[in-house]
Amino acid sequence: MKKTNTVRSLALSKLRYNKSRTMLTGIAVMLTTMLLMAIGTVGTGLLDMNRQMYALTDYHARFGGLTPDQVNVLSKHIQVETITTTEVFASIENGKMNGALSYQETLKDDRSADGDDSLHSVELSSGHYPETEDEICSSPAFFRRVGAEPVIGGKVTLSFRVDGKGKILTREFTISGLEPDVEISDKIDDSRLMWTGRISKALLDSCRADGLYESEPDATLRVYGEEELTFDEMTDRINAVAADIGLDEGRVNINKEYLFTATNPGTETIAIMAVIGLIVIFFSSLVIYSIYYVGVITDVQEIGKLKALGASGRQIARLFYWQGAIVSAFAVPVGLLLGFLLPYLLFPLALWAYSSGSAISSYSRDTADAIIGQLHMFSLPVLLIAAAASLITVAVSLQKPIRMAKRVSPVEAIRYQENTNDRKSRKGHTEVKVSTLTLANLTRNRKRTAVTILTMGLSCVLFICVSAVLSSISAEDLARRSIPRGDFRIALDSALYNDKEYPENNLENLVQQDYFSEAFLSRLSSIEGVESVERAPGQIISSTDMESAMYEDYENHLPLSYFTRDDVTELNACLEQGSIDYDRMTANNEIVCTHAYSFEQYGLSIGDVLPITLHDGSREIPMTVTLAALAEPDANFTYLVMTEDTWNSLGLTCDPTTSIYLHVDDAHYDSVKAALTEIVAENEHFTLYAMDVELAIGHSSIDLMKNPLYLLLILIAVIGFISLINTMITSIVTRKKELGILQALGLSDRQLVHMLSGEGLVFTAGTLFISLTLGNAAGYLLFLWAKDEHIMSISRYHYPLWETVGLALVLLVGQIAITLFISRKMKKESLIDRIRNQE
Amino acid sequence: MKKHSDIILKTEDLCKYYGTGDNQVKAVDHVNLEIRQGEFVSIIGKSGSGKSTLLHMLGGLDNPTSGSVFIDGENIASFKEEKLSKIRRRKIGFIFQAYNLIPSLNVWENIVLPLGLDGKPLDESFIHDIIQTLGLSEKMKNLPNTLSGGQQQRCAIARAIAAKPSIILADEPTGNLDTRTGDETMALLKASAAKYGQTLVVITHNEEVAQMAGRTIILADGRILSSGESEVVSDEEN
Repeated sequence: MKKTNTVRSLALSKLRYNKSRTMLTGIAVMLTTMLLMAIGTVGTGLLDMNRQMYALTDYHARFGGLTPDQVNVLSKHIQVETITTTEVFASIENGKMNGALSYQETLKDDRSADGDDSLHSVELSSGHYPETEDEICSSPAFFRRVGAEPVIGGKVTLSFRVDGKGKILTREFTISGLEPDVEISDKIDDSRLMWTGRISKALLDSCRADGLYESEPDATLRVYGEEELTFDEMTDRINAVAADIGLDEGRVNINKEYLFTATNPGTETIAIMAVIGLIVIFFSSLVIYSIYYVGVITDVQEIGKLKALGASGRQIARLFYWQGAIVSAFAVPVGLLLGFLLPYLLFPLALWAYSSGSAISSYSRDTADAIIGQLHMFSLPVLLIAAAASLITVAVSLQKPIRMAKRVSPVEAIRYQENTNDRKSRKGHTEVKVSTLTLANLTRNRKRTAVTILTMGLSCVLFICVSAVLSSISAEDLARRSIPRGDFRIALDSALYNDKEYPENNLENLVQQDYFSEAFLSRLSSIEGVESVERAPGQIISSTDMESAMYEDYENHLPLSYFTRDDVTELNACLEQGSIDYDRMTANNEIVCTHAYSFEQYGLSIGDVLPITLHDGSREIPMTVTLAALAEPDANFTYLVMTEDTWNSLGLTCDPTTSIYLHVDDAHYDSVKAALTEIVAENEHFTLYAMDVELAIGHSSIDLMKNPLYLLLILIAVIGFISLINTMITSIVTRKKELGILQALGLSDRQLVHMLSGEGLVFTAGTLFISLTLGNAAGYLLFLWAKDEHIMSISRYHYPLWETVGLALVLLVGQIAITLFISRKMKKESLIDRIRNQE
Repeated sequence: MKKHSDIILKTEDLCKYYGTGDNQVKAVDHVNLEIRQGEFVSIIGKSGSGKSTLLHMLGGLDNPTSGSVFIDGENIASFKEEKLSKIRRRKIGFIFQAYNLIPSLNVWENIVLPLGLDGKPLDESFIHDIIQTLGLSEKMKNLPNTLSGGQQQRCAIARAIAAKPSIILADEPTGNLDTRTGDETMALLKASAAKYGQTLVVITHNEEVAQMAGRTIILADGRILSSGESEVVSDEEN
C-alpha cells in the first residue's frame, strides 16, 4: 500500500514538474475523447433523426393491388397490427396539375387505445372527412390550386378520370373538411408537385356500382413483433402474411427504411460510426503515443536515477500508468462533455440551415423544426464506449514507452541522450547551414518523424475521406437526372402508354404533332440569353405481343431510344450484366436494358430475343432485338437503348424528339425562365424543367442528411487541426533545451524560425502526401461503398477539390503561425533557463 | 595597472536577483570585474555562490537584474537579439559541463556549427588542426552519443575554439570527467587557448584546475571575495 502511494505521489509530482508535457498529453487525451464522443453523438442524432423521419411513415409494408376479399382477410389477420387502405380513385384533369382523388381508410389499429380518431392518418384542422358522394377534403392549398375558396361548405368543380383512364368526368364537390395548410415554395414548378383530394367511400361505392370503377386498393400495414423481431424475421412475417392472402411477392413493398431503424439501431450508421471511431482511435493513440515516446526520452535520465535507487520495472510501469490515469481523470470527462455539447449545440444549427435554406414546402420546414425540438442525441453506450476507448488508447500508448523505460539501465541513463536507432555515425556535411540542422533533426530519429507525419496525416486522411463522400452527395447530380444537359429542359408530357380513351395523348401520337419543329426551336433560340438549343435523343415506342409482365404493366408499350459511341464509356462504367460493344451491337441488332429493377422483376436475361414493333408515327416497323447487356446509368436513357447506327438505319420519318435542352447564359437565366414559362403554358403537353427548381428539389432531399455530416466533417477538421498543433508544439517544446543550446552557440531568432518552419514544411508536405494518397484512395472506396448501398443518392464521384485546397492552406498557414507563436513565446524565457530545462 | 584597451570583458555593478522580499536570492551581487585579452581566469566558489550565473551573464545567456556587461568595450545589454546571437557566435565560445553537443550532428558538424550559423567561409585546415590537437581525428563522423565523456568534452572545446572567438567561457568543463581525463582536457583547453591567443574564463570546483589559471577569482554569496593578483579594483577607476 505504502509503495503504491510513493509511486502515485511520484507520478503526481512528475506531472506537475513537466507541466507543458502534462498539458499536451492531457489535450491529446481530451481531443481523442472529444472526437469519439462527438462522432458518437452526431451518429446518435442522425439515427434519431432518421427514426423520427421514418416514423412519419411508420408502416411496415405496402401491399399493392388488393381485391376487396384480400383486404377483408388482412383486416382480420392475427399478425396484422394496423392496416390502412388507400384507393387512388381518379386522376384530376386540370391543365398541368398532377392531382389525384383518393380514399383512405384505417380498417384496424390495435395500437391506439380508443381507435376513434385513428381511422384517418391526417388530422383535420376543421370540418369532417367526406361522408356523402359529393364531399371532399384536402389542404387549403389544394383548393386554392383548383381555383376554389378553401372554406367549409364551399363548392369546387373538378374534372377527373376514374382510374386514370376512361372518359373525363366533371363533378361539383362540397368541401367538408380542411387539412392543415402547407405553404408551397414558389421555387418549385407546379408540374413537379403532387396534389391529393380525399373523397368519400360513398362515391367509390356508387362508381363501383355503375361499373365505372373497380376497387383495387393498396394497403399499408404493420404486423406484430416490431419490438422483438429482427429485420429479417419481420420481413419473413410480412411475406408470410402476403402469402396467406395469396398475394404475389412482387406486389409486396416492404418499408425497409423504417424497418431498419425500428428493428435495430441502424446497422449502416453504426458501421460508419464504428469505422470512423476506429480510425480516430488509431490516429489519436498515435498522438498520445508520440507524446509519451518523446517524453520518455527526456525522462530517461530520471528513470535511470529511480532505478539506481531501487525502483523495479513494475514500479516504473506503475509510475507511467499512474501518470496516464491522473491525466485521464481530468481529460476524459472534459472530452466527454465537450464532445457531447459541441454537436448538441451545432446539430440543430445544421438542421436549421436546411429548414430555412432549401425547403420546398412548409411541411419539410415543420418537420425539421419538430425534429430539432425533440432530437435525442445523448446515448449512454456511446458515452461509455468513448470513455473506454480513450482509456484503452492511453493504456496502449503507454506500452512502448514503458518497455523502453524498463530497458534503460541506470548507468546508460546518465549519458542517455536520444534514441538514434543505434546509428553510430553520420556522413554529414562539411559546412553546417540552417537547412543542415533541419534535415539532421528530421533524419535523427526517422521513426519519430514518421510517427509525427503519420499522426498529422491520418487526421487529414479522415477529413479528405469524408469530404470525398460529402462532395459526391450532390444536388446537381440529382438535378441532372431531370435535366441531363444545359439549364432547361422542355419535355413532352404524355400518357406514354396506351391511353385508349384519348389516344391522341399517347407519346407515339404526340411526336407526330411535330411540336418540336424547327420553327419552334428557332423561336426558343431567339430568346435573349439562350446560347443553344438541342434535341435530346428521341424516343420511339416499341411494343410486342410477347407474354411478359413488363409489357403488360406498361400497356404493351415501352420507350426506346439510342446511345452514341461516346456513351459507351458511361454505360460500361455502370454495366451490371452482359457486355457492350458498339460495333457488335450494331451488327446484331442488340439492345441494352437500363433498368435493373424491371430486369429482375420480369425475369429477363442476357441473350433473350425480343420480337418488337417500333412505332414511327403511324408506321409500324417489326424487328427482332437481342438483349445484350444490363446497365444502370444515372439518367438520360430510356428503358431500352440501341446503338445510334441501328437507330439511323431504321429510316425513321417521324421526328421522335420528346425533350429539348436549352443552354442559357447565367445573366439571363431569370428572364429566359420567364419567357419559357410563357411558351410552355401555350401547350398543355409541355413540361418545363428548370435547373434552379431541380437543384432546390435536390437540396431538399439531401441537405437534411448532408448538413449534419458536414458538421461531423468540421468537427473532424477542428479536432484534427488542434491535435496537429499539439503534435507540433510537442515536437518543439520537447526540444527546448537543444534549441536553447543552438541559440547559445549563436543561432539567431530568425535562423531558429527558419529551421523550425523548414521542419514544418517537411511535415506539411508529408502530411499532404499521406492525406492525398491514402485519403483519396480511402475516400474513393468509401464513395464506391456509399454508391453501392444507394446512400444519399450518391452516383458520381466528385473530387473534394476545395476541401483539399483548404486543407493545404490551413496546414501551411497553421504551421508557420505555430512556429512563430512558439518561438516568440520561448523568447520570454532566458536562454540559460531553456538550456537547463529538462523538457 | 593595465591599460583599458587590453580589457576584453568587464562588468559594472552586475546583479542578478531571484524572487522578492524575504525570499530574495542574490545570485550575483554588485560584481565588478575586468578581464584582459589573453588572460586565463578561473572562478571558484562553493555551490550556489553565483559562479554559473555570473558566467552566463558574461556570455549573454542570461539577463542581469541590473548592471552591465561589456564585451570589447560594448555594452551587450543594449543589443537586440540578432546582434547578441552574432556576438555569441563570433566573440564567445561556450563550454558546458554537460557538453551540450547537438545529438543529430556528427563531431565535425558540431565543431563547425557556429561558423555555419555565421555564414563564414570555412577554414578547413584550421578546423583539422584543432581536431588533431584535441585527438578527435578518428571520430569526425561519429555521432555524439557514441563518444566517451572526455571525447564529448573535447568536441565541445573544439566547437568553442573553431570560430576563433576572443573569449572562451567554460562552466565546469571537467565536472563530468574522471581526474585523468579532466586533467588532460584542461591541459588541452589551456594549450589551445594559448595557441590561438584566446581569453579563457573557467568555472571550477577543482583546485588543480584553478591553479592552472593565471588568476583566480573567489566568489561567495554572489560577491567577489578575492579577485587575485591582477585584479583591477573598480574603486580605482572612479
